[in-house]
Amino acid sequence: MVDKLYNSHMIANNHLLLWDCWEYYAKNFPKRQAIIHWDIVGKPFTWTYRGLIEEALSIADSLMRQGVKTGDVCALIFRHNKYFSPSYMAVAAIGAIPAILAYPNPRLHPDKFRDGLSGMAQKSGLDWIMTEKELEPVIKPLVLGRKGSIKGILLPLEWITGRKFVKPRYETIRKSRDKINSNSPFLLQHSSGTTGLQKAVVLSHNSVLEHIKRYRQAIELSENDRIVNWLPLYHDMGLIAAFHMPLACGIPSIQIDPFQWVCAPVILLQAISQKNATLTWLPNFAYNFMADRIREEEMENISLLSMRMFINCSEVVRSESHKKFLNRFRKYGVKKESLAACYALAETTFAVTQTKPGAVVASFTVDSDCLAKGIVRPVKKAQSSKVCISSGRPISGCSIKIVNEKIAELPENRVGTVAIKSASLFNGYRNNPKKTKQVFKNGWYISGDLGFCHNGEYFILGRKDDVIIVAGSNIFPEDIENAINKVKGVIPGRVAAFGVENLTTGTQGVCVVAETCCVGKKDKNILALAIKQAAMNIDVTISMVHLVPPRWLIKSSSGKISRKVNKERILAQIVTQGNK
Amino acid sequence: MISERLKKIILLELKLDNFDLEDTTQAYQVPGWDSLNHVSILSKIEKAYGVRFKSVEVLRLKNLGDLQDLVNKKIEGHNRG
Repeated sequence: MVDKLYNSHMIANNHLLLWDCWEYYAKNFPKRQAIIHWDIVGKPFTWTYRGLIEEALSIADSLMRQGVKTGDVCALIFRHNKYFSPSYMAVAAIGAIPAILAYPNPRLHPDKFRDGLSGMAQKSGLDWIMTEKELEPVIKPLVLGRKGSIKGILLPLEWITGRKFVKPRYETIRKSRDKINSNSPFLLQHSSGTTGLQKAVVLSHNSVLEHIKRYRQAIELSENDRIVNWLPLYHDMGLIAAFHMPLACGIPSIQIDPFQWVCAPVILLQAISQKNATLTWLPNFAYNFMADRIREEEMENISLLSMRMFINCSEVVRSESHKKFLNRFRKYGVKKESLAACYALAETTFAVTQTKPGAVVASFTVDSDCLAKGIVRPVKKAQSSKVCISSGRPISGCSIKIVNEKIAELPENRVGTVAIKSASLFNGYRNNPKKTKQVFKNGWYISGDLGFCHNGEYFILGRKDDVIIVAGSNIFPEDIENAINKVKGVIPGRVAAFGVENLTTGTQGVCVVAETCCVGKKDKNILALAIKQAAMNIDVTISMVHLVPPRWLIKSSSGKISRKVNKERILAQIVTQGNK
Repeated sequence: MISERLKKIILLELKLDNFDLEDTTQAYQVPGWDSLNHVSILSKIEKAYGVRFKSVEVLRLKNLGDLQDLVNKKIEGHNRG
């Protein structure tokens, strides 16, 4: 059915908006399940296409009455709530632009949250904040301030509670939407970060639809598929792969509360089993997390046989994680060939490469020493080795080349930066032409990821820059260093933060090296605690704090503290101490 | 009130020398206690007391006082059973 619909309606129509797809299903398959809102504490709720569209139109009408206009950017900051989806769709219904932002973790200091939001509002041009009543007092100062661009705070959940039914003004809503076309911005996505380093990626309706069209082919999406998702929707993997793709293809998705999943990871497997789900996307750490944390007795009556693919994406794919997951859940129906991988970026809407459905993912055991020098060679006996896992081949409409510092293409089996051309490439960073110019070279998007090509398959090794990736989320070391520089006892400007691989968790941990004049053990313990607390205020958990004497940290030739060199130095020191 | 035993288990798991833990303390206020190691800390508590928490019970915990109450309830049930 998916193909039939695309051929007859979507592919043939070059002027489609996402709304048109949703409306098409609401008109032609009104009772079809669209979104199953999963909740193990409250009650689960199923949205049909008709129900979803009707609710979205009702909220859209209220948005317009509040003054929201075509092209306005509406930031949505919600916890898991069944009315989130229609609220998001309501923004699209009037031709405004939704931008999902993370609901602040309670450990994030309100001032830091406000500062981040204020910076984002100015950079990305946020016009409205749609949120929950509880957050209103935190955000209100931003609206009252004269500097900001934010026009107002909207509380759609309050409108819905106890509302009397009023027929939405369909014609007014349609007229508002008619002012945009398929090349108009559809959504804004922000990269991670906490203190204004976020870049806003603008995606048009056309980019998102083009991507869905091509990616569904790569994963052989069919009407029998059911997608289950615990990922937050401010992340491209959750939003594009697990929300927009199924919604635009008439396939149900089961949306789990990320907070509930992280407290009780078995929920994902229960949802798969109960709903016969077939597809899910997971960052690498989730494989370790579920294998380690789900107890045997929790697996009673759970079958994972329906799953076609668990798609590993958004972190480096680690062989140990796949093995661990397979060994743990093989007896419940996980097959080796269902462990898939994908390489994706918000800038290309989502996927760039994908492994072949139903095939075992290719792995390549290479000589680690050669790899460190940028050369990919199969391992020989008695050499240090690393198992690299393929992220597959480019999907239709995407081209990749591995390039060196001069952006010259490298042959197979050479490590370099991943450069991409894509039919669903973003329109640039919003209000940031300088940054946009930096990442494009002769029409190629220079990703900043390191990788190599072997036998036509792409293997991703990590970031070229110092971005730390913890559980699929990007953390900028500058954010951590800025916060720690203010801690009393730390020598200002003498801090380095970096990520350290943790094989047990399958992700990176945050390590901090800070110079101090403190010498006593007690004083050092107090300072280490203060450093951890300073990081907590920006919602970062530090795994390791190393306090070192003045002038310990090494600077690069440009005079900046080198994270790479200091990371190697402290890790070598830990190994030496461990061996003594 | 949080027992010394429960405090000790938590501080040990989080590698904290000392930190003031009270009934009203919430997980996010404790250094190192984040969503990723939440399950691991609870597993250590389960193991130490020989009890099992259900997912829904864990999701309903608001602070350390609730956690202590849950532990007490489980031990009581265990002793009765």
